Amino acid sequence: MSTDALLEIRNLDVTYWDRSLLGLKGKGFQAVKGANLSIRPGETLGLVGESGSGKSSIANTVLGLVPATGGEIRFGDVDLASMRTNYPSSVRKEIQAVFQDPYSSLNPSMTVEDIVTEPLRVHTTMTRDERRTRALELLKLVSLSEEHLARHPHQFSGGQRQRIAIASALALTPKLIVLDEPVSALDVSTQNQIINLLYERRDALGIAYLLIAHDLALVHHISDRIAVMYLGHIVEEGPSDRVYKSPAHPYTRALLDAVPLLDPEAQRRRRATRKALPAREAPRVAAQGCPYRNRCPYVMPRCETEMPSDFPVDGGGTAACFLFDRATAIPGPAIGQGAPA
Amino acid sequence: MTALPTENSATRLRRPRWLGGGSFAIVAFAAAALALLLLLAIFADAVSPYDPLRQNLMESLQGPSAAHWLGTDDLGRDVLSRLIYGCRIAVIAAAEATTIALLIGVPIGLFIGYRGGWWDWVVMRIVEAIVSIPGIMVAIVILALLGTGLHKAMIALGILFSTSFLRLARGVVLAEREEVYVRSARVIGASDRRILLRHILPNIAPPLIVQTTLTVGAVLLAEAGLSFIGLGVQPPDASWGTMLSTAAAFMDLHWFLAIPPGIAIILTVLSVNLIGDVIRDGIGRGIAVAARQDAPAARFKAIGTAVSSSLALPPPRPDEVLRVEGLQVTVASPGGPGVPLITDLSLSIGKGETLGLVGESGSGKTLTGLAILGLTSVALRTTHGSIVLNGRDLRSLSQAQIEEVRGNEVAMVFQDPTTSLNPAFTVGSQIAEVLRTKKGLSKKEAWERTVALIDRVGIPRPAERARAFPHELSGGMAQRIAIARALSCNPSLLIADEPTTALDVTVQQEILDLFRDLQAEFGMAILFVTHDLAVAADICDRISVMYAGEMVEMAEVGQLFARPRHPYTRGLLTAMPHASDRNPPLPTIRGSVPRPGSWPVGCRFSNRCDFAVPACATRIPLTGTDRLVRCIRADELVLEAAQ
Amino acid sequence: MLKLVSRRLLALVPLLFIVSVLTFSFTSLLPSDPVDLIIGDTGTQEQYEVVRERLGLNQPVILRYIQWLGRAVQGDLGTSFFNSVSVADAVMQRLPVTLSLTLVSALIAVAVGTAAGIAAALRPRSWVDRLATVGATIGQAIPNFWFGLLLVAVFAVNMRWFPATGFTPISASPWEWLRSVTLPAIALGLSSSAAIARQVRSAMVGVLQQDYIRAARAQGLSSRRVILKHALTNAMVPVVAVLSFQITVLLGGSLIVEQVFSINGLGTLAITAVRQQDIPMIQGLVLVMVGLVVMVQLATDIVYGFLNPKARPS
Repeated sequence: MSTDALLEIRNLDVTYWDRSLLGLKGKGFQAVKGANLSIRPGETLGLVGESGSGKSSIANTVLGLVPATGGEIRFGDVDLASMRTNYPSSVRKEIQAVFQDPYSSLNPSMTVEDIVTEPLRVHTTMTRDERRTRALELLKLVSLSEEHLARHPHQFSGGQRQRIAIASALALTPKLIVLDEPVSALDVSTQNQIINLLYERRDALGIAYLLIAHDLALVHHISDRIAVMYLGHIVEEGPSDRVYKSPAHPYTRALLDAVPLLDPEAQRRRRATRKALPAREAPRVAAQGCPYRNRCPYVMPRCETEMPSDFPVDGGGTAACFLFDRATAIPGPAIGQGAPA
Repeated sequence: MTALPTENSATRLRRPRWLGGGSFAIVAFAAAALALLLLLAIFADAVSPYDPLRQNLMESLQGPSAAHWLGTDDLGRDVLSRLIYGCRIAVIAAAEATTIALLIGVPIGLFIGYRGGWWDWVVMRIVEAIVSIPGIMVAIVILALLGTGLHKAMIALGILFSTSFLRLARGVVLAEREEVYVRSARVIGASDRRILLRHILPNIAPPLIVQTTLTVGAVLLAEAGLSFIGLGVQPPDASWGTMLSTAAAFMDLHWFLAIPPGIAIILTVLSVNLIGDVIRDGIGRGIAVAARQDAPAARFKAIGTAVSSSLALPPPRPDEVLRVEGLQVTVASPGGPGVPLITDLSLSIGKGETLGLVGESGSGKTLTGLAILGLTSVALRTTHGSIVLNGRDLRSLSQAQIEEVRGNEVAMVFQDPTTSLNPAFTVGSQIAEVLRTKKGLSKKEAWERTVALIDRVGIPRPAERARAFPHELSGGMAQRIAIARALSCNPSLLIADEPTTALDVTVQQEILDLFRDLQAEFGMAILFVTHDLAVAADICDRISVMYAGEMVEMAEVGQLFARPRHPYTRGLLTAMPHASDRNPPLPTIRGSVPRPGSWPVGCRFSNRCDFAVPACATRIPLTGTDRLVRCIRADELVLEAAQ
Repeated sequence: MLKLVSRRLLALVPLLFIVSVLTFSFTSLLPSDPVDLIIGDTGTQEQYEVVRERLGLNQPVILRYIQWLGRAVQGDLGTSFFNSVSVADAVMQRLPVTLSLTLVSALIAVAVGTAAGIAAALRPRSWVDRLATVGATIGQAIPNFWFGLLLVAVFAVNMRWFPATGFTPISASPWEWLRSVTLPAIALGLSSSAAIARQVRSAMVGVLQQDYIRAARAQGLSSRRVILKHALTNAMVPVVAVLSFQITVLLGGSLIVEQVFSINGLGTLAITAVRQQDIPMIQGLVLVMVGLVVMVQLATDIVYGFLNPKARPS
């Protein structure tokens, strides 16, 4: 973990409580369990996982929408976790967000100008004219024009709405933008336009991104590092290329293999290989031990009882899997490119 | 994923009904009636022919005459004059009670909705308690405390109706609080006050206006009721309620007395309610009006006549199960020939074969599946083409015949398994129902077969899971159930509409494996609709690519991926996330998918195509024999493979 | 199901508590002194003290509330200020009248409303739909007591098919009971029929657009089966939710409609009590009505649970 990090998450827990009859705490659901992450200034961290993995909970906690129940979120020299959801203005203006669904993330009763300049109204003392000038600059940054200023969100296509959301997030030139599935509601042909836009703006303005997505391939394109989540745990973390091209954790591997290849022939071969592996129709939730052990083809006895810690992986990063535990010299099975020899 | 844009483009096509002629007349009528009421209330002294309180016992209980247009009451007072003065009472009553209700209800509702916690809990329990007492009884209790009279009655009604404003304001705030744009505002750092006033309050206005009109109507009725039983306006003052109270005593002698005040109440309440209805309908559709910037109907007249002259038809398949030729589906548009959603679509599928129908939102791929089954919504019509399934044209069948075909010969699996199963019944009973009605199995046989089917689609403990309700199953599990139901009668064609889009990738992989295994076992043909080329590459034998309501390319799967011929297919392939290797700029297709109704004339992709030439502005036919392509430059362009 | 019922019963505790507090506090909110009301202007100081003692007004409020609640739970709702009639007896004597009126009108409202709503939803924008929509809109604007007056004028005074006034208990003559309750029940049920028709229509139109209806059709189930089984079961979920509210409305409306038909039910009792500021009587009436409403709510909750499996606690 680097000390020059912009955002550093240590042992983060997020638990949702069922409200019972009198507002007392009922059953808890642990969405995030002991997560560690770090983002340097100007860096993009891709956070990948399936539904229910806890990736959006991390995003919402960083944004101060959901309180952390344990651990630390250091942003610069303040601990956000201890503030629960009451961030001071100095922090708020440095962390902005773009959400998944551009159809619900823009207030239907506001104009584009209102939406884009809202952060300026909250955090600056700019005059109306100054704000308008800034709004025009911002629209230009996202390839929209002056004529769009007075329109309402419903007059735009999904891709255009997402541009408006990005313009608003860029308004204060924050240090960090949390992107929560920014393109998954868009058509394939418009997805890349948004990805390119995000990439250009980041390099021009030096903004760090926390990019939440379910598609590893997409995340790989613009991330410097990738973290993979499974059932509330971060199971693997490392440089983008390393994680995508030689995944270490069996779950990352399964996630990559599950996306069909564009080459039908190659896909057919891969399917054959996958079918040769032992099939495990088992519950996805493990009460103790490794969270992935019920589905893992390489499960070992110690996985049943022990929780693997983050072991270093060749090529950078860590994986929470005993296959990478060099101390116990148990030779791991040959599982392709990423496994230790 | 793609469901959302599709839905939105569909709603955009709808035009607000209340802008049509009939509704305008209704609004005009209602507004005129209310304006008249208001004028009569203000100028009652000037307008009314007599003093409403002046008695003349010589002329009591007379019918309408030239002197007394609406007759006289038991004390010989002029009914018309009393009616006009009643307008004044009605306006005062409605304004007073509604204002009190608004002033009490809205601030408290906003406060407890936003604050939540104990405040909310306590206030809501009190509201529940008040609501569980019949409204009139609440008013009676309050009147018992305050004493009778118009203003006291209106205070009582105001307190009573404040509960509905309170609940409305609270409900809107609770719903708005969860809206993503309110979360966005919080992330920006807007204060609670600012969020409430600037981001939430504007959105509460429309439902509040509707509730206000409803309340005005309800107040008028309640005031009349209270005055009728003698607890509201006190005689001799004229209100519509007291007039009816008088009339009630003389129903056997002079029933006409009840007619004028009754009609006055009904007309007023009706007008207010009608205006409320129109506003409510308008809110949902206000969005639809503005989004419709272009009027495409005229342009499509020309195309409408030019369609169905395709040069190439899909090659016949061995053991052909389904053959669609020249299919056209249009959506009704006001005052036009209808906007086409699908034009000139032809395809064929053989036994045991999987044909992929690939395209983005608005391409018409999902609609094609529904059109084959004859299940498009009411506003849509299949205008041209034939749909031949196992040698019979489905479009020529009667309703009963097509119901017989569905399930037995063709079945469908939908995108979202949690909504395509009926939430009210157990999953097993939904499969057993099909077996009993379509196959005539006994209850016991059907259940045994159901459990066997659930077992077959790879669900552990099938007998137990058969008794589960849809919401108790995971998405992947529910989709397996939907597949089991679709296959229960062993159809020869299965239409799968984005069956894995709502699922996680690892679950998607399992479901795709299941489709493949079941096809090997049952031998059905599959029409697989998807927006995801990678999924199509995995499961399909042949792929048809659709863009803006027509097929642009059709080829065997290996050929399509190795050598795409249409620029759109190529664009899609290169835009797939795992097609290129790292570092943006990633390849894109410029612009966005045009909505139905705003397709370019000629090649519909021409405005986004890098290879477009002037000749692309003419109608482009589908050409080829084994593989088909709709591009005028297909032969000259050497399109490289995506890889 | 047992769990659902017990959970609902538990949720009723705070509701009933608040209702009882509200009801009890009428006495202290009253602007005039109830003792003065009883003894009148000519009462002496001794009389005043005696009555005050009898009403227990010299004890602390909390103690009075507990005693009052204790007696109410045992069915003792106190004695009327103005005649020595027990409130419970007076209310129970009139209850069957109001109850039969409310229930018959609820039956009419549900039957007419559901049928009209379904017919309208099946063919949107057809003449059936328009007729039902226009009928419902007008029906909701007609005051129930005025409609009652018209019914009396036409069917009782003019045609003499039904009695114009009065009520015959069902125990006396079921036929006469039916005759006496028909007109008031129709008058009372009109606006609820309209409200239910609109609710059923919009719920049904919404349900018919759901994926599971398409899926059932795609499976080749007959239209009849899809509509009556798959769609209606789900469309009734919101309807049942408003039904308990509609029954509350009907119960309140019956207080007024009773006056039109000179039926001696709870309405007459309530109006007399208000005029005399007869606090124990009003308190008793409120408690009994809330009791009725709560029972209706409980019943609809159970039906709701049957129709909507998601509402059942797991």
